[in-house]
Amino acid sequence: MHKDLPIDILSAVEKPARYTGMEFGSIVKPEEETDVSFCLAFPDTYEIGMSYLGFKILYAALNGVRGVQAERVFAPWVDMESQMRERGIPLSSLETSRVLGDFDLIGFTLLYEMSYSNILNMLDMGKVPLWARDRQIDDAFVCAGGPCVFNSEPLADFLDFCMLGDGEHIILEVTEAYRAWKKEGKPGGREEFLHRIARIQGVYVPSFYMVRYHENGTVAEVRPRYEEVPPVVYKRVEKDINDLDYPTHPIVPYGDTVHDRIMLELFRGCSRGCRFCNAGMIYRPVRERRPEVAMQLARELVPATGYNEISMFSLSTADYSCLEPLVRDLLQEFREDKVSVSLPSLRIDSFSVKLAQEVQAVRKSGLTFAPEAGSQRMRDVINKGVTEQNLLDAVSAAFESGWSQVKLYFMIGLPTETDEDVLAIAHLAQAVQWQYKKITGHYGARVTVSVSNFVPKPYTPFQWVGQNTKEEFDRKHMLLKNAFASMKNIHFQYHDSRTSLMEGVLARGDRRLSKAIYRAWEKGARFDGWTEYFSFDTWKEAIQEAGLTMDFYNSRARDENERFPWEHTSCGVSRAFLYREYEKAREAILTHDCRRSTCTGCGVCQKLGVRIIDWKGKEK
Amino acid sequence: MKLRLQITKESGIRFISHLEYLKTLEKAIRRARIPVAYSQGFNPHMKFSLASALSVGVTSRCEFLEIYLREKRPLAGLVEDLRHNLPMGIHIIRADLADDKAPKLMAAAAGASYHVIIPCGADPASAIAAYEAAESAPYTKHHGKAKGKEKNKVIDAKAYIPAVSYTWNGETLELDFDIRITPTGSMKASEFLELLSGSFGLPLALTRADIARTDLYGEDANGHKRPLISEEEAIKD
Ligand code: SF4
Repeated sequence: MHKDLPIDILSAVEKPARYTGMEFGSIVKPEEETDVSFCLAFPDTYEIGMSYLGFKILYAALNGVRGVQAERVFAPWVDMESQMRERGIPLSSLETSRVLGDFDLIGFTLLYEMSYSNILNMLDMGKVPLWARDRQIDDAFVCAGGPCVFNSEPLADFLDFCMLGDGEHIILEVTEAYRAWKKEGKPGGREEFLHRIARIQGVYVPSFYMVRYHENGTVAEVRPRYEEVPPVVYKRVEKDINDLDYPTHPIVPYGDTVHDRIMLELFRGCSRGCRFCNAGMIYRPVRERRPEVAMQLARELVPATGYNEISMFSLSTADYSCLEPLVRDLLQEFREDKVSVSLPSLRIDSFSVKLAQEVQAVRKSGLTFAPEAGSQRMRDVINKGVTEQNLLDAVSAAFESGWSQVKLYFMIGLPTETDEDVLAIAHLAQAVQWQYKKITGHYGARVTVSVSNFVPKPYTPFQWVGQNTKEEFDRKHMLLKNAFASMKNIHFQYHDSRTSLMEGVLARGDRRLSKAIYRAWEKGARFDGWTEYFSFDTWKEAIQEAGLTMDFYNSRARDENERFPWEHTSCGVSRAFLYREYEKAREAILTHDCRRSTCTGCGVCQKLGVRIIDWKGKEK
Repeated sequence: MKLRLQITKESGIRFISHLEYLKTLEKAIRRARIPVAYSQGFNPHMKFSLASALSVGVTSRCEFLEIYLREKRPLAGLVEDLRHNLPMGIHIIRADLADDKAPKLMAAAAGASYHVIIPCGADPASAIAAYEAAESAPYTKHHGKAKGKEKNKVIDAKAYIPAVSYTWNGETLELDFDIRITPTGSMKASEFLELLSGSFGLPLALTRADIARTDLYGEDANGHKRPLISEEEAIKD
């Protein structure tokens, strides 16, 4: 959007390069060759959006089609927003300074709930009518995709449609349908286009469904308004990701982004079955990229980007069947070019630590592990499948190889949690610290404990549970603070409970929340994921003014048979499976990973006609 | 051998920082597969340098990049490979090959030329005449704080910028001036504008200054300007 931004604005704001584009690899096509313009919109900062793999994939996929121009826009930071509003400068794309409202389609990435207010703000700044029902024939279609799209109901009134699941094909089909409809002179109005795409698997049109509520506020019924519209929209899933195009020539930003390196995706999906984890359900089944395909991609990515670091990217990278040989091959292949390899997440075992040691020539930073819960019982409840011994073995391996800093991630507020479980976090951290003494003979390990507040998510076995209240969270924080006060060299950090509670509202919300989101935005809500801008009071008022209560959405435990607002947009995992898992959780019974063992019956493979692709034991 | 290039930082990318500009060049060098030399040691880094850091927001036609090569290659091919791998907003103006031992271009830089376009509400004639006539023009450089105390330094602008030429069309002022680079320091174009506005009463819209560095030059024995990369052997765009 640089064309409209004068020098004095750019020199007054933080990180002005966020707004000026022109990066290596960005694509600008001549206007006269553009049939369809698609704006990929990310409702957070440039640095975060440019680090999101899905965004790169869609940018490349769309721009790979003749006549289609995909461009980017990010949420302007608050300083920039006030400058733009003051001078009446609308929000426009980085590539061609096209105002948002002048695009044919605008697609938002729904990566986390706390970015919803930014979506409204971006639409408003981009001159797009906020409510879907107010948009006219030549207004842009506003759609969404990404992990939160499996409950897009809180945004239902703002979105024309959603795309569920793997994006690379569905987005092209929608775009082609748009091109045809536009060429024909947009017959039948906006409705007609929506009807056409509602036939594409994975496309969900919120306005085609009506929702009836019980007197107590729960959903009574969600019914399609038209006969040909499916009662349940299932996600799109690519059978074999080896057949997919990969963005081998991504944009290379000038400045530092969150992941300023090559992102090499090794597989999609994760079936470890952690019961709190939404990603572990919605991306099933596991589908691995063949190691030789991954290698080939790296060979293209290194010279195309100029990066000197390859990050092996997946939900739990250490589970990749051929990780060790692949890492070795990569290091070998790019030795001359001084390209390093990094692992974003470590599994809690010594294998992972050894691998981390291999790739990290210099002990730059500490190692990070996520036991998620302090007590064994609690870890069994969430199906983490990790023992205290596993963790101690892993940190021992780390200490033996010279690391002295360890960061541990935990959650509090998990179902069935007692104070004893909470305090077990402190004991575990202490055990890790003691392990350092045992191995090195001296004290001085730096252990950081980071505690987040559990938010029950849709499409998880915990979708039935009530979230902890503010009082409960705050009390548990205090318990831990007191426990850690007497421990030296353990750094304790925790997240503000209010943000988690609001996230809890939006995560399991229904479409009545659209009003509340609108009110919150009107009252100034923006960048709610950033503590410095989040105002709990704003949201509390907004929800009240919409005639709703927070407790109904976050802390209320649901009945076994309650119908959820999101069940007509499905990731394919069956409700019966999720409930079984919930029951097993309450008994602290583990469920194994189906990846290299028997099917545990989540239903995705049968429902969507796909299967696990894993190269363990089948190499070459 | 080292590959020496005069490159640009154009208007569209004027707001990327010096560090970002450096990192961008590093990636371009890698994409172009320039046979660049690396430092020894555990954490080897690419051997290249950039003469004279540019302030954020200033455009330039005279950024000087020196890349140390680990093997000899013909100049034309290197320039061609790099050209294809630079982002929009960076172009190559001139290039040559020099011996590794040749002094760093930065060390040879004696001054820089600037062209400034800036809104100005009044006839600047008398203010600029006053500056030129002044014996000295003290300016306080703000170095931020050190140990809680303001760490300022007063310099004489005239020692760096002896003369200014200008045109004014009633609204916009265009200035051209050279700033000396000395072993003990230099002055920024933006600081000079601040001085004209603050001490000489020139009504400049400082936040809207469009500043371009148009040249970075050396000096011969007679004090005459000399291009840092001589024209004879260089490849020109
Ligand atoms: S259907 Fe069975 S094999 Fe497929 S992902 Fe679910 S549990 Fe695993």
